[in-house]
Amino acid sequence: MKYIIIAVLFVICLVVGFTFFSKYDKRKKFFTSLIMLAEKLTVEINFSRERLKVLIENFDKNTRQNLLGIDEGFVSYLDKKTELNEKEIFKKADVLKKDEKDFILLFLKTLGRSDVENQTKEIASFTNRFQEMRVISDTEYKKYGTLSLKLSLIAGLFFVIVLI
Amino acid sequence: MLSKILPEKIAKIVNSKLNLKGVNEIRFRADKPIIVVVGGKNYFLSENGLTSSLKDALYSSKIVIEDIVFRASECSIYSVNEQIKKGFIVTENGLRIGIGGNVVEENGQVKTMTNFNSVNIRIPHSIKNCSLSCFPHIVHDNIIENTLIISPPGCGKTTFLRDFVAQLSERNLTYNVLLLDERGELDAELNANFYDKIAFSSKKMGFENGIRSLSPDLIVTDEIGQEADVEAILYASTCGVKILASTHADSMETFIKKSLFQNLIKEKVFKRYVLLSKRNGPGTNEGIYNENFSRLSSF
Repeated sequence: MKYIIIAVLFVICLVVGFTFFSKYDKRKKFFTSLIMLAEKLTVEINFSRERLKVLIENFDKNTRQNLLGIDEGFVSYLDKKTELNEKEIFKKADVLKKDEKDFILLFLKTLGRSDVENQTKEIASFTNRFQEMRVISDTEYKKYGTLSLKLSLIAGLFFVIVLI
Repeated sequence: MLSKILPEKIAKIVNSKLNLKGVNEIRFRADKPIIVVVGGKNYFLSENGLTSSLKDALYSSKIVIEDIVFRASECSIYSVNEQIKKGFIVTENGLRIGIGGNVVEENGQVKTMTNFNSVNIRIPHSIKNCSLSCFPHIVHDNIIENTLIISPPGCGKTTFLRDFVAQLSERNLTYNVLLLDERGELDAELNANFYDKIAFSSKKMGFENGIRSLSPDLIVTDEIGQEADVEAILYASTCGVKILASTHADSMETFIKKSLFQNLIKEKVFKRYVLLSKRNGPGTNEGIYNENFSRLSSF
């Protein structure tokens, strides 16, 4: 019985640690993927001038998975099925902060609203800010993400040693 | 087809209260009542459909107009900027949306249009047999005469062209027809079998490329209005290709006085002129004339 409790406590510590780690990991991957999407849009808008919906739907499937559903929400808005607001777009993006959500929403609101030249400039300006967000999320990931994983492992081992 | 581009509330009214078959245009102007043109007459749009009373009219706003343009461009204004520069967008199902706003120019060239403040949605119609009364004068012994359709805006020129192509197809007259469609609206609701289409090209380029690559028997094109268009027609007429075209003028007298067409008139390129008006609603045939402007028939 004692060993079962020790094992359960050890797992709980690891799960808690992994949850924190996962949050920072998701944020890092999200901003990396968002920048990739913005870069893809810039290139395609300048050359193929394909419709936004097609560009987003054709965006790399694996990278899209990191976008926390904002791509799906936006496509749904383009299809006139939902509104373009925080509630609809960030349904699955609970790891983002309020100011980040506001800024991303502003980005989505400018997409498709101007000619190639202005659209490219707008995307470039948003991408700069996204780069800053990625640097912050990357630092947080290194600082807190891996730290929380290590701490949870140490805490788990601590319980194991104490209880044994 | 309007549901995709109109705000939900207006789309609901338009779809449930209006008979779109009779609607020619819907006009939105910033902070002004929404106008619906039915059979050439203007009405206001209200919650209950059409009205003549201004106090019941629904008003449009700048946001509504910008949203219509955004939706008409399939949420990608950058992809239709070449059309916007010319003042319109044509949707995938052939709706032509005229746009008013601020033109941005650079080095004497239109760069784009911003700050949209009005839109005019023209509903394409296919009026079966509207060209039938003129058909025997234009096609006889399986020969098509070069024909120019003349009318003020909104009098059914495009509808006439569309029906004429459909009539050829219906009679199994297997001419290779080339639709040279600068605005991408000529084949909306067109039920015909034997046509190719070059869309969104200038007339000059379309005529040259089309004749070279598609070997058409007949070229159908809308709205001749520039020197380059006239040159393209003169070029086609020397290549043995027949032409069915349209242009703006309110009467034969006005048309004959237009300096742009003097070469075409002098060379007698067009053998038939069809004059349309709105007198009894869009598409009223006012008469058909030969190359010497003698009336062959009135309607």
